[in-house]
Amino acid sequence: MRLENYAEALEKCSHCGFCQATCPVYLEDLLETHLTRSRINLIRSALIDKSLPVTRRVKEIINRCLLCTNCTHTCPGGLPCDEIIAAARAELGGKSGSAGAVKKFILRRVLNKRGLAGIMSRVGSTIQKLNIVKAEVPTLAAKPFDSIYSGTISPKGKIRSRVAYFVGCASNYIYPDTGEAVVKVLVHNGVEVIIPQGQVCCGLPAMAEGDLETARNSVSVNMKILAGMQVDAIVTDCTSCGMMLKVKAAKVLPGDDPLQNQVKAVSEKIWEAADYLNTLGLQDQPGPLNERYTYHVPCHRAWAPTIVDSPRHLLSAVSGSELVEMENPGKCCGAGGSFFMENRQLSERIRSHKLEDIAATGAGTVITQCPSCRFYLGVKLKDRKVMHPLFFLAKSYGLV
Amino acid sequence: MNALAKDLNTLISSNRVRTDPEDLFAYSNDATFYFKKSMPDAVVLPESSEEVAHILKYAFHREIPVTPRGAGSGLSGGCTPVHGGIVIDMKRMRRVLELDRSNMTSEVEAGVVLSNFHRTVEKMGLFYPPDPQSMSVCTIGGNVATRAGGPRGVKYGTTERYVLGLEAVLSDGSIIKCGSKSVKNSAGYDITHLMTGSEGTLGVITKATLRLLSLPAARKTMVVICETTDQAAAIISEIIARGMVPAVLEFLQRGAVGLMNYYISPPLVADAEAYLLLQVDGTAAQVEAESAGIKDFCLQMKVRDVRIIEDEREAGSYWEARSALHPLIMRVFKRIITEDVSVPRNLLPEMVGSLTELSAALGINIGFSGHAGDGNVHPSILFAEVSPEMEEKAKAAVDLIIKKAIDLGGTISGEHGIGIHKSEYLPWQLGDVQIDLMKRIKNSFDPKNIMNPGKIWPEGDELRQ
Repeated sequence: MRLENYAEALEKCSHCGFCQATCPVYLEDLLETHLTRSRINLIRSALIDKSLPVTRRVKEIINRCLLCTNCTHTCPGGLPCDEIIAAARAELGGKSGSAGAVKKFILRRVLNKRGLAGIMSRVGSTIQKLNIVKAEVPTLAAKPFDSIYSGTISPKGKIRSRVAYFVGCASNYIYPDTGEAVVKVLVHNGVEVIIPQGQVCCGLPAMAEGDLETARNSVSVNMKILAGMQVDAIVTDCTSCGMMLKVKAAKVLPGDDPLQNQVKAVSEKIWEAADYLNTLGLQDQPGPLNERYTYHVPCHRAWAPTIVDSPRHLLSAVSGSELVEMENPGKCCGAGGSFFMENRQLSERIRSHKLEDIAATGAGTVITQCPSCRFYLGVKLKDRKVMHPLFFLAKSYGLV
Repeated sequence: MNALAKDLNTLISSNRVRTDPEDLFAYSNDATFYFKKSMPDAVVLPESSEEVAHILKYAFHREIPVTPRGAGSGLSGGCTPVHGGIVIDMKRMRRVLELDRSNMTSEVEAGVVLSNFHRTVEKMGLFYPPDPQSMSVCTIGGNVATRAGGPRGVKYGTTERYVLGLEAVLSDGSIIKCGSKSVKNSAGYDITHLMTGSEGTLGVITKATLRLLSLPAARKTMVVICETTDQAAAIISEIIARGMVPAVLEFLQRGAVGLMNYYISPPLVADAEAYLLLQVDGTAAQVEAESAGIKDFCLQMKVRDVRIIEDEREAGSYWEARSALHPLIMRVFKRIITEDVSVPRNLLPEMVGSLTELSAALGINIGFSGHAGDGNVHPSILFAEVSPEMEEKAKAAVDLIIKKAIDLGGTISGEHGIGIHKSEYLPWQLGDVQIDLMKRIKNSFDPKNIMNPGKIWPEGDELRQ
């Protein structure tokens, strides 16, 4: 993911401007400068051709991007726009800002070390106490997932398949309820779940910061663990972890890195957990649940073709419940990992449209496969529940 | 802060005045990046006609060039600020002001995005046919300013046919309302349609009153897979001869289908020489009869296959692919120069024939997928490598393409406009007397020549690199 390796890809931008249709930042700011086309142009001129000076404003423009990947999937020329922007951040020595040092510490010392729940919660409460990050910050769970679950959890009857569960940081530290639901629902449906020891952050937050060294370290640790596992699939409940493991891991490592073979082997086995279960098929009919729900489709959804529709199919088996589609379910919620902490006003504006769309459905529950969306929407949806599709299923089975 | 920014800040909220070099850079061209960039001195983002008027009054007084801009998705360099000055980004004026069902009209601000407008009116069972292929982003103001059109032109014509009235700000800051909602209008000169297609050289279009149709009850997409280009041309002639008017009749070459398969799902077999992509619309019975009729005679003419796409998602993927075709070319080539000639539709086979000859004679790759049904073809000069030699050949090819279209009684631009891209060729088509007449018209609208100067006819220094 070195910028120089994208020099040729940059030339594929025809300047058509089709990215205006889906870039959430542009659609809020309505300023050409804050559009992918312009970011790409600026990166080429300031960082590759060096025909423009690298100013504070250049950095601001490159950093004012959620890495939501919507432009990448809209771009007819097929430019990996999000990777180009991440590479540009790395070239500029990473995003910096008031929270830079804290973030680096969290990324390197905390998210890349599991089993240190004590440290993690102390860090979390310090952040909250000192008000270092002036934004809504998730509260950490009393007990992280990895202090409750470990090892292999086997179904009672016949084993239909064996999966390794990649537990993302969010499910480990903030939403262990999702992790619990993933394990219980899969096991309930005849899937043996193995929770690999030693796994760390997927590396996406570091990549987004432009801290490629940390991202590479994460990828190395995880790949070494996951590649050796004798399993049918590796599941994650987080669409962003999934994207990182399936698509981006190979990109943050050098092309000739000896780990690339392992990365490829892991990539072929990565599934989003609800997508995996939907493809495998339910073994047991879920119980009824009197619930009107709507479905927010996370931005990091394009790494597998069935991710988007799987929750719809899966939850249609729950009798008594009803899916009420919102206007444009795939529109970004504004969270962008931790983007919302540094771009508070912008994110809040993006979110406000989403909240209107959700309210218009009248649904009491919002389904989404992204913990960042869950948190960021949940803050404002006090009277509604936001949950992973497998948590919804766990409820209908009476497992949680 | 420079003096210009200081002045503009007194006219319009300061966060909507931009003068940082990085912002100016973002506004230095449109979708024709192979032309030289021209940085403006300031970018303003007005939110009302009154703000536009304030800016123009100021610019008029100071004799500062002004370039209005929509989505910057144009293919003629029309919104490139070749003489610097102020770029007016119209995208914040994006309200649909009125949807009048009983009169079947709508009034919109210039910055309304076309596909958003499509969705809005279609929800009410109404139909606004113009469909430039950048419709997911392009603005109605830009469409009006360039008389933009798209595939549906064959049956429904282009934007100009739907413009009933306009609000515009003239160079001295005065606001005019021309045309009206009424079906008929014989009051004086038709300023509405003089402003339409004027590419920002006569004033800034701020609002448009548009004519709407009823949404057709049924639509059907079909693909004809032809053995040869000649066969495709024969089918187009036959459709025209029979008096059939499909809503869309697109000609596609093998290479185009290969690229469109990035979107078409499931993909279309991409080994035939030529394809026709059609849409028929009307009542369910009309659509049934027309699609069956076209299928029958295509099969009689021994095409390889005719497919009627029944699945809505699949049909949608074809039109999404068609929309993306121009930028899709960049997946394979390093540069595209797209022309926009339009000829009387019965002469299209002759135009296409000469493109094939030209391509062979110059040894360059010219794609020519286009809106076959209305005679508008987009010869695209495809650069495998960018070199001075290739640039020279491309220029020679463009000259010959333009000349041929004019010889056939056609026009150098069917729907993109002239901008800077085609300004040197306009005298070829119109002659000096008409160009002079246009200049005098412009002078009476814009005596200080501040409105998008350097466009439509060449003034010298704004030509391509």
